[in-house]
Amino acid sequence: MPTLTLALKDLRLLLRDPRSAVVLLLMPVVLILVLGLALGEGFGEKPDDRLRVSVVVRDAGLPAKAGRTFPPKPWSEVVVDDLTADPGTAGGAGIRVEVIDSEEAARDLVARGKRAAVLVFGPDFSDRMDRSSFLAAPGFEPVNPFGRDGVVLDRVGLSVLRDPTQPTASAIIEQVAQVSLFRVLIPYMIGQAFARVGDDRFMEQLAEMLQDRKPIPPDVLRELDPVVQKLLAALTADPNFAAIALDEFRKAKGSDFLKATGDAATIARRTPEFRAAVGRAFQDPKLLAAMGKDLAFGEVLTPAVRAEVGPAVRKRVGDLFPSYDFTAPTWAQLTRNQGREGADRNRAVYAEPGTKRYQVLVPQYTVLSAFFLVLSVGWLFTAERRHGTLVRLRAAPLARWQVLVGKLLPCLLVSLAQGFLLMLAGRLLFGISWGPRPWLLVPVVACTSAAAVGLAMLVAAVAKTETQVAVYGTLLVLVLGGVSGSLMPRELMPESMKRASLVTPHAWALDAYSQLLGSPDPQLAVVTTACLMLLAFGAGFLAIAWWRLDLE
Amino acid sequence: MTAPVLEVADVRKRYGPTVALDGVSLSIGGGELFGLLGPNGAGKTTLISILTGLTDADGGTVRLFGEPFGRGRRDLRRLVGIGTQDLSIYPDLTARENLRFFGKLYGVRGDDLAGRIEEVLSAVGLSDRGDDRAGTFSGGMKRRLNLAAAVVHRPKLVFLDEPTTGVDPQSRNHIYQQVRALNAAGVTVVYTSHYLEEVEQLCRRIAILDGGRVRACDTLPDLLKTLDASLRVAVAGAPPGFAARLAAVDGVKSVAPADNGFKLVVEDLPPVLAKVAALCAAAGVELAAVSTREPTLERVFLHLTGRGLRD
Repeated sequence: MPTLTLALKDLRLLLRDPRSAVVLLLMPVVLILVLGLALGEGFGEKPDDRLRVSVVVRDAGLPAKAGRTFPPKPWSEVVVDDLTADPGTAGGAGIRVEVIDSEEAARDLVARGKRAAVLVFGPDFSDRMDRSSFLAAPGFEPVNPFGRDGVVLDRVGLSVLRDPTQPTASAIIEQVAQVSLFRVLIPYMIGQAFARVGDDRFMEQLAEMLQDRKPIPPDVLRELDPVVQKLLAALTADPNFAAIALDEFRKAKGSDFLKATGDAATIARRTPEFRAAVGRAFQDPKLLAAMGKDLAFGEVLTPAVRAEVGPAVRKRVGDLFPSYDFTAPTWAQLTRNQGREGADRNRAVYAEPGTKRYQVLVPQYTVLSAFFLVLSVGWLFTAERRHGTLVRLRAAPLARWQVLVGKLLPCLLVSLAQGFLLMLAGRLLFGISWGPRPWLLVPVVACTSAAAVGLAMLVAAVAKTETQVAVYGTLLVLVLGGVSGSLMPRELMPESMKRASLVTPHAWALDAYSQLLGSPDPQLAVVTTACLMLLAFGAGFLAIAWWRLDLE
Repeated sequence: MTAPVLEVADVRKRYGPTVALDGVSLSIGGGELFGLLGPNGAGKTTLISILTGLTDADGGTVRLFGEPFGRGRRDLRRLVGIGTQDLSIYPDLTARENLRFFGKLYGVRGDDLAGRIEEVLSAVGLSDRGDDRAGTFSGGMKRRLNLAAAVVHRPKLVFLDEPTTGVDPQSRNHIYQQVRALNAAGVTVVYTSHYLEEVEQLCRRIAILDGGRVRACDTLPDLLKTLDASLRVAVAGAPPGFAARLAAVDGVKSVAPADNGFKLVVEDLPPVLAKVAALCAAAGVELAAVSTREPTLERVFLHLTGRGLRD
C-alpha cells in the first residue's frame, strides 16, 4: 500500500510537471510535424519502377474441407504471393502489390484517376477457386473458370475496378492478373484431375462402363491365347494338378475307382496334347465367338485387378510427360522448376500520399521520445533530493524496494500513456496506418516502455543533480537514438551499422514497429523477438539501477 | 524522569577518518521536551539520523520504546516523526496533498486521515491555505507545513531539527505553540535549535553535544548551577579588612579587589546581595554601585564547548 501511495504521488507530480508534457508529448509531435514538412511527401517513398498492382482483399477465406493440405492460406493470398514473387533469373522489374483496405477507397482512387485498375478479391473468391475443376461428380458443383479469352474473372469471384480513361494501363494489370490466375489455377485443376486417373472410383466407373461391352469379339479372345497357354503350361507341369484331377474324378458321383485313376493318369500323360487342343480352339473363330458371347470386358476388371492396374496406369501416364508433375499443386512444381515465393518487399499497404513519411517518422520519434523518459524520471528523483523529501521517505516505514517500485510504476504508466498517445496522434494527426495487426502494437509499446523505464531508473540512480540528468540524460538518449536509427530511417543505415545498432533497445523497438507499420504481413517471430529483447533490456537496466541506487 | 522512550548507549559513528559521534549516551523519558544543543559539526545531525533510522551507528545501542532500534525496524519507525532541518515537503503538491501523502505513508487512512489533516492544518494555522501548493507558501508557512508533515501520523516521539530556522516571528510562535501542544498531548519531543532562548523556553532537560560527545545533560537550573554568579560592588570609605569581612559572608566563594571596590564570586546571587548590602550598612561603608552577572545557558554552553553556538 505505501508503494501505491508513493506511486500515486509521483504520478501526480509527473502530470503536474510541464517539462514532462513538453519532452514526452509535445516535442515528438512537433518534431514529427516539422521533419515531415521539411522532408516533403517523397520521404519514406523509395523510387520504384516496378509495375504496381492494387488489390482489395475481401476474401472470406477457405471453405472447410477435411484433410486439406493445399492451399495453406486463402486463395487470394496465393494469388498475391504469385504476383509478388520475385521475377527470378529472368530478371525484370517485377511487380509490387499494393493492398488497399477497402473497396470504397479503391473506387475513390480509380474514380480520381489515381489508379488505372484495382483487383477486388470478392468474399467468395477462395470458395470459387477451391471449386474450380475439370471434373464433375455427384454432389459436387464445379466452377469452370476458363472462357474464350482465358480466366473468366467473375467466375472465380474476382472483379476489376477500371478507370475508363486509362484503358491501356488497366488492360496490362488485368493481363497480369490473368497470368497469375493461370499459374495458380492450372496446376491445381490438373492436379485434381490427374489424381482421379486410376483411382478406385475411376477404375470402378471404368469397370461399370465396360460391363456393357459384350460379347468379347473372337479377335480379342484370340489375343489371349498366349496368356492361356502360359497358364495351362504352368498348371499341368505342377504335380499337384494330377493329384487334384485324380481327387476330383474319384469324388464324381458314381465314378469307378479304377476308371477314375486311369482317366487321371491319361490326363497327366496327355497334357501336351491338351494344351495343343486349347491352342487350336483359340484359333477357331466360331468357337471363339461362342466363348465370347456372354462375356463382358468389365468382367476382366475385378477389384483386385483394378487395385493393381489403376496406380500403374496413373504412373505410366505421368511417365509419358517427364517434364511435368501432374500431381503438383503449384505451377513451379508442375513444370518442375524452382519455386517462386511471394516477397514481402513487393507488398505494401496503401497509404495516402505523404503519409508514408509519417509512417516512418512516427515510430522513429515515438521510440526516441520514449527514452526521453530518463529526463522526467531523473528529475523526479533529483527533485526528491532537492526538496529534502528523500530524507522523509527514508525515515518512513518503507523498504528500499518499495521506494524503487513506487517510483517505477508511475513512470511506466506515463511511458505507456505516451506510447499509445503518440500512436494515436500518428493516426489522427498524421494519418498513419496501424498496419494489418494493430493489436500487436500494444505489446510493442508496452515492451518499449519497459526498456525505457529501466534506462530511466538507471539514469535516475546514477545522476545526483538535475543538471546531470539534463546533460547526461539528453546526451545518452540522443547518442542511442542516433546509433539505433531513431534519428534517421534505419533503412538508410548500412547493414553492418544496422547489426551493431542492435545493442540498443531502440533498434529492437524500431524493428518491431517496422514490421507492424511497414509490412503488409508482419512476422510474428520478429515482433516477439523484439519484445523479448526489450524486456531483457528493461530488466538489465533495472538490475543495474537497483545495484547503483543510493537513497542516502 | 518517566520510563525512557529513547535510550542511547555509547553510540559511535565515523565518516572515514572523521569521528562524528564518540560514545554518546542519552536517556529521554516519555513525554519529555528534550533540547539538544551543539555547535556546527557537534554530531547533532548524525545522532538524529541514527535515532530516526536514516543511518546505522557503527557501535553502541539505541533502544526505542524499550526495543533495539535500527534501520530495519520499520515497525518502530511508524512511532517516530521527523521535522527535518531542511524543508522536506513537495512544493508541487498542496498542503493537504502533502499531509495526505505522508499520513498514508505511515498507514493512516480514510476518515481518520482526513480528520487528522484538518487538525494539524489548524494547529499550524494553515487551514485556509490547505488547497494551495506548498511552493507558493512563504518560508514560515513552509516551516509550519514541514512540522505538520512530521506529526500528521500521530508519532509518539518527534525529532525537530532546527524547526524555526529562517522563519518570521508569527510562524515561530505557531511552531512553539504546536511543540508545546504536542508535548502536552504526551508526545516526546527532541528539539534542536541554534536559538538558545528557544531551548531555554521550551525544554526541561537539555543535552549539550560537542565533538561527538555529550558534554552535559540536565535540567536548565542544574545546568546553570554549574557556573557561579558574580557581583561587583563599588564602595567608598571601606575600612581595612573589609575584603575579609566580605569573604566571610555566607555564599561568597571569593573576593578580589576591583576598581573602587570588590568583585565577588557567589553561588546564589539574591541572598548574597542582601547580606552584602547589610554588611555595608553596618560597617558604614557607602555602597556606590552594584553590578551583577548571573549564569546563562549561553555561558554554560561557552564554558563547556569553548565556542558559541553559531560558531
